[in-house]
Amino acid sequence: MNRFWALVFLTVPVFGVLTFVVAPYFNHWFPPDVSEHGRIIDQLFMFILWLTGILFIATEGALFYFAWKYDRRVNPEPVKFSHGSHTLEVVWTILPAVTLLFIAIYQMNAWADAKMRRPDIPVTAEITGRQFNWDARYPGPDGELHTPDDVVREDGDIHFPAGEEVLLVIKSADVLHSFFLPNLRMKQDVVPGMEQYMWFKSRETGRFDIVCAELCGWGHYRMKGRATFEPRSEFEAWLKAKAEEQNARTVAVAETE
Amino acid sequence: MLTGCGQAPPAQFRLDMTNVVDKQLARPHQAQIANVLGAMFGTPDEPFALGETGLSQRRLHMAAGPVQSNDLGAKRGLYRRHCAHCHGISGDGRGPTAGILNPYPRDYRKGKFKFKGTQYAAKPTHEDLRRIVHDGIPGTAMPSFALLPPDEIDALVEYVKYLSIRGEMETRLEDYVFDAVDPEEELDLEKDEGHREEVMAMLTEIATPWQEAAEQIIVPDESAIPPADRTPEEIAESVAKGRELFYSATKGNCLQCHGPTGLGDGEQTDFDDWSKINKAFIDNTASLETEIEELQKNLAELKGEAHDEAEAELDAKVVELKQRREWMAHLLPPRNAIPRNLRDGSYRGGRRPIDIFWRIYAGIPGMPMPGAAQSGAGGTGLSQEEIWQIVDYVHSLPFEPVSRPQKRPTNVEAVN
Repeated sequence: MNRFWALVFLTVPVFGVLTFVVAPYFNHWFPPDVSEHGRIIDQLFMFILWLTGILFIATEGALFYFAWKYDRRVNPEPVKFSHGSHTLEVVWTILPAVTLLFIAIYQMNAWADAKMRRPDIPVTAEITGRQFNWDARYPGPDGELHTPDDVVREDGDIHFPAGEEVLLVIKSADVLHSFFLPNLRMKQDVVPGMEQYMWFKSRETGRFDIVCAELCGWGHYRMKGRATFEPRSEFEAWLKAKAEEQNARTVAVAETE
Repeated sequence: MLTGCGQAPPAQFRLDMTNVVDKQLARPHQAQIANVLGAMFGTPDEPFALGETGLSQRRLHMAAGPVQSNDLGAKRGLYRRHCAHCHGISGDGRGPTAGILNPYPRDYRKGKFKFKGTQYAAKPTHEDLRRIVHDGIPGTAMPSFALLPPDEIDALVEYVKYLSIRGEMETRLEDYVFDAVDPEEELDLEKDEGHREEVMAMLTEIATPWQEAAEQIIVPDESAIPPADRTPEEIAESVAKGRELFYSATKGNCLQCHGPTGLGDGEQTDFDDWSKINKAFIDNTASLETEIEELQKNLAELKGEAHDEAEAELDAKVVELKQRREWMAHLLPPRNAIPRNLRDGSYRGGRRPIDIFWRIYAGIPGMPMPGAAQSGAGGTGLSQEEIWQIVDYVHSLPFEPVSRPQKRPTNVEAVN
């Protein structure tokens, strides 16, 4: 191998690392985090990114160094093979194993908080994924789902109270979907026939994306929704307005068109 | 302009070959019809609307054309971006994804729309179509476009109206050429004042109902509307009455199609109007085949002039059969119109009581569902009070204990 090719190979890790370095400056990094727990998720991500990043740079550096050093033209000596070093083998088996074990234990609490310690509060809404829309069913005044006073929204415009814990039941009407709230660092796969739960607490108000994160058919790309986080009073007013709209028995005849 | 690689030919409106082949319109006539339509409606890239249509040129411009937006963010090509892959460039409901959908996407060209708040024969209002685009149609592949800005939804609705008017005009024009234009005659509206007047009269006839749709809105009588503050007992009473009407063979007779259980398992063998057209085309092709076989059998027995005549007739039929078979490959296979399952709690045309009221009152155009308010011909002359009672009953069905699915096992891990 000559040194030209060594340099060509070097461009790959250089480009890879550069992508990460410049991405935040081009707005290609994480969307703003508005959730209570998202900080921990982001910290975990950054920790793993740094760890793997440093290892990546070291490994790629070593690979490049060998390709550069053992160029045939400057290093005509034939290759010598050795049977290997027992100590080295043990070290590079144990070291990654310990690291992986450490990560597994280190993230356990975050995982449990996000997926296992379901808060004991009433369900805020039932979210149903269907090709290709997110529907929401709110329990209505009686607090029970699937009763005649439910408020059902099928336009993907889903509202949640901000600043308090929200518990969702997530279902699918047809195939696999994944309910993804990027700004809340929350993602839950939806399996037909199963009820999944998701809980989160937003620190801020605002309108954020809901996307489907599991390829679910030809319209997957457009299976978007909008999550609006607003103070409890506004949320309740919205719910009331939608309940009234849903119970409309008359029609405003003053057509604009 | 760059040409060649990557440059797609401009999009074109295609003629509705079901009608063209059915009527055996000659190629010159097909071209003349396309010319007349082009002069009246423009192309998918540059549509225009004659004053008679009452459509907004600005909105059409926004919805039509290839997908693009300029430096100021003004968008074009909304229809092709959001709709055409199902509903097709011509609005024929035969876009590339149409075949894998159930139900099929709507073919706008027939001018019939199922979910609206106007009288049976009237067109939907702008607001009716707007609601469908905004909310989508739950239970079908029609998604909600609630995230689009209002002016984009308005533009799309306008374009749907445009495609519908254009499509209805096309059918009328083809029928007109078949009925009133000699095979040798040319249909040129510039030259022939008579044809011109006829055609413009057709356009007015098709477009006026669209402009007058708002006058046809069904406004329920105030006196018949159940008050908002009913007690649970009053609601239960109304539900019980609605149930009686649902099962009554002389009054509501809903069970005939929606089934004794309300699961939509009654009469399932009928077709909707869009499938009926395709089915007729396929059936007629089959009978043409038998006709040709008969003619071939008889041909041997004929002599002289009779033989020549029969042979000419046979040749014409063979050509027609070939055209029919070619076109049949493009048709969406007809499907039965399955009555709605009233227990699963999804409502295609909207879940508001007024939506259900409209469906029952006026029926659903294009579907076997008759209007209940009219008496005779499928309708059973229900009063508005009675319709509201059925609305209450229908609304109660998804919440009956039998409608609820059994409690499914929850995610054990998540429960913890």
